[in-house]
Amino acid sequence: MKKKALLIRLAAVALCVALGAVMMVVGRGHTIYLDNKTIEDYQGQEYKSFERVNITVPGEDEVIKLAKRERDMATCMGQSFHMTVEVIEKKGDEPRVEEIDLKLPYNMDGIIVNLPALLAGLPEEAWMTEFIPAPEPEDSSEEEPNIGDEFGMGEDLGMEGDAVA
Amino acid sequence: MEQPAYAIGLQYWLKKMGYPRLIIGGFLLVLFIMAPLTGSDLTTQFTNVVNRFSWNAVLVLAMVPMIHSGCGLNFGIPLGVLAGLLGGTLAIEMGFTGPMSFVMAIVVSTPFAILFGGGYGALLNKIKGGEMMVATYVGLSSVSFMCIMWLVIPYKHPSIVMAYTGVGLRNMFALDSFYAGVLADFLKIDLNPLGINLVIPTGSILFFALLAFLMWAFLHTKTGTAMTAVGSNPTFAKASGINVDRIRMLSVILSTWLGAVGVLVYQQGFGFVQLYTAPMNMTMPAVAAVLIGGASVNKASISNVVIGTILFQGLVTMTPTVITALIHTDVSEVIRIIVSNGMVVYALTRKTEGAK
Amino acid sequence: MKMKKSFNGFDFLQNNLVPLMFIIICVICYPLADLSPGHLLNEIVNRMGRNIFLILSLLIPIMAGMGLNFGMTLGAMAGQIALIFVTDWQIWGIPGVVLAMLLSIPLSVLLGLMCGKLMNMAKGREMILGYMMNYFVGGLYQLVVLFLMGSVIPIIHASVRLPRGFGIRTTVNLTSMRQCLDNLIAPRPYGVKIPVLNFIIIAVLCLFIIWFRRTKLGQDMRAVGQDMEVARAAGINVDRTRIISIIISTVFAGFGQIIYLQNLGNFATYTAHTQTGMFCIAALLVGGASVEKASIGNVFLGVILFHTMFIVAPRAGIAITGDAMIGEYFRVFVSYGVITLALVMYEIKKRRAKSQGGALLAQAQKEGGVQA
Repeated sequence: MKKKALLIRLAAVALCVALGAVMMVVGRGHTIYLDNKTIEDYQGQEYKSFERVNITVPGEDEVIKLAKRERDMATCMGQSFHMTVEVIEKKGDEPRVEEIDLKLPYNMDGIIVNLPALLAGLPEEAWMTEFIPAPEPEDSSEEEPNIGDEFGMGEDLGMEGDAVA
Repeated sequence: MEQPAYAIGLQYWLKKMGYPRLIIGGFLLVLFIMAPLTGSDLTTQFTNVVNRFSWNAVLVLAMVPMIHSGCGLNFGIPLGVLAGLLGGTLAIEMGFTGPMSFVMAIVVSTPFAILFGGGYGALLNKIKGGEMMVATYVGLSSVSFMCIMWLVIPYKHPSIVMAYTGVGLRNMFALDSFYAGVLADFLKIDLNPLGINLVIPTGSILFFALLAFLMWAFLHTKTGTAMTAVGSNPTFAKASGINVDRIRMLSVILSTWLGAVGVLVYQQGFGFVQLYTAPMNMTMPAVAAVLIGGASVNKASISNVVIGTILFQGLVTMTPTVITALIHTDVSEVIRIIVSNGMVVYALTRKTEGAK
Repeated sequence: MKMKKSFNGFDFLQNNLVPLMFIIICVICYPLADLSPGHLLNEIVNRMGRNIFLILSLLIPIMAGMGLNFGMTLGAMAGQIALIFVTDWQIWGIPGVVLAMLLSIPLSVLLGLMCGKLMNMAKGREMILGYMMNYFVGGLYQLVVLFLMGSVIPIIHASVRLPRGFGIRTTVNLTSMRQCLDNLIAPRPYGVKIPVLNFIIIAVLCLFIIWFRRTKLGQDMRAVGQDMEVARAAGINVDRTRIISIIISTVFAGFGQIIYLQNLGNFATYTAHTQTGMFCIAALLVGGASVEKASIGNVFLGVILFHTMFIVAPRAGIAITGDAMIGEYFRVFVSYGVITLALVMYEIKKRRAKSQGGALLAQAQKEGGVQA
């Protein structure tokens, strides 16, 4: 009887840990920056930016429209990213539609994806770079917390200490 | 097993002092030794501690009567503070200035203290055994009620009402032309002219000593011993013909009155009056101080008050300067919160003699 | 004991004094506040969705006779620490909420265990002890979040840390999980947004509480709540049962705080938890609960009445007095006043029961003496 209870407990803990692990994978958020920029020199070759790219990302209402040398971003939860890309390579071309699935690296928050390189079928290191946000200025003013159920008197009912601090 | 005499003596002292007191005392001693190393001079530290002691000691003394009569820690001290604030503001409103305003503040606050204390005492007599929780909330609700009153009572004096509208009292106002420093400046020892930063507010300390002596004397009168009896064994007290409810009521009134006087003393030292939610801030330092001094939920003496206030205020004033200088982070606030509240938690979990 | 149950107006009045008072306050203040019914309803439904879970966490310790669990704030702190980690690890949306809940469990259990053990050392003083534990553990929370996070405990993102390199910023931003539970299924009949998922979670917890009351452990808790000595004589491990009740309450409070904060969308790192316990307890008491008896119905009624007052009072205050602060102070006073009143009534009742018991005992002894 004791053994059974212990087993159930261990199973419950294992379940929680497993669930947590799943959540960490499923819920990991990434911001994906989609670039329509020319790659000047990758192994001696140039990959020109497209005339126009329309990207549909499931879950986002608006279609992302990129002209030459533009960048836009999409957010994504989980480790795989799906998008439908409609490319017009040169002026007057017929649009070409492609479905693309990407595997996202877990450790990157912001990922820059270069579309010309990606669509040319280059290896990952050619089109994926990490987005590193510019360091915030030291004195960046912080946002105010939203007010929930709180009294508008004193921060913390004052029971913490002296009036003069 | 035979133990050498000094070991027994040591154990006796350890027990008598209590570990929390020893730890905090030792910590303070270390701070005092470290203070010169961090560049702050010893006399400044000493001056700070003594001054803070003189502001707070009477408020801590206000804990004693209620603990003695078995009403527990007086978490309802804001009630007394409110009486004191009423006394102070009304004395100013009546036009008194200088030392006279201090005397009048005490005089005016006395009826309020008796009134509040009486009601509070009657309430606590109905709920014996659950005083502390109710006291906490009586304090909180009366402070919030008075918040409304400070806005509504038609005060007129220009130096205390809100600057623009002229209606309602200010959050905080200076006492410069009223009773700031009236006690502290009496017989003040100031060595600054000699180049030593040492100021001792003799008057405030004497005033506290007077009240403490009166308290001590009172506890040795017939009524005072009856109070102790009620606190340590109410059944026995009742059997020996003591009117338990009356004695408890008296202790509550006394506590409340001392709270009123205590806040006035605090204000004269600090130099400002703080209204609205400020009285809530008066509870924890006083409760924690008396406990650090070695009092328990149902036992407290004058020496507990003195030692506790010195230790607690030492902690409050020394830790910021010394710790910050040492590790360049201001953890002192957090240390103080943990120590003072931890002390109260510790006291509440200790088994008390004669507890119901 | 069988007694003829008849409707007694006076008893009814006495038992429901607080809810009735609140209904009167709300009825008087509502027209003065000049709020559209749609707006008010929307606010109340929103607040029900985010607050009820927290308040339900108070029920189990009441069942175990430990009074109002002022120590539920400990759970709220555990929830907040979990949310800080989840924000730092960039786990978004509902998975983020679930992960935060899972992470809060070990912390809540630990804190609940500590609180429960201390409460067992201070029987009869549980409430004041829980109340003081808030401030004590609040200090520890500050130590961890303000000094250890980022220096000892790894924090990845500089956007979460204070500019000095360690400690967490005063506001933690939950943009990526803001209202993710509320918005998943949110029909808006007549412009009133109903957070269906929140209510489903609440319903599950209600069912859990109802089921729990019937389990062996739940029965034990009720026995302990009624009389510790009798329960002990019946072979119940009193101390253990009490600790479990506090742990359950703390864990639920942690979940509740996470639900509450995802609704707000961000939180003040160092102050968001401070008033949680106060608010939940006031709301529960307004719903007609007492220190030793509280039902799920009390929770729902309490949330509706308390928050109606909360929304309406400041505006009514401005309308009556022209001063914004008076209404503000008024609702503070009313909240504290309700708790004070409930505590006083409970203590009086307890004392009366005790003296009656004593009288009965004395009588029994006297009769016994005569027989012998």
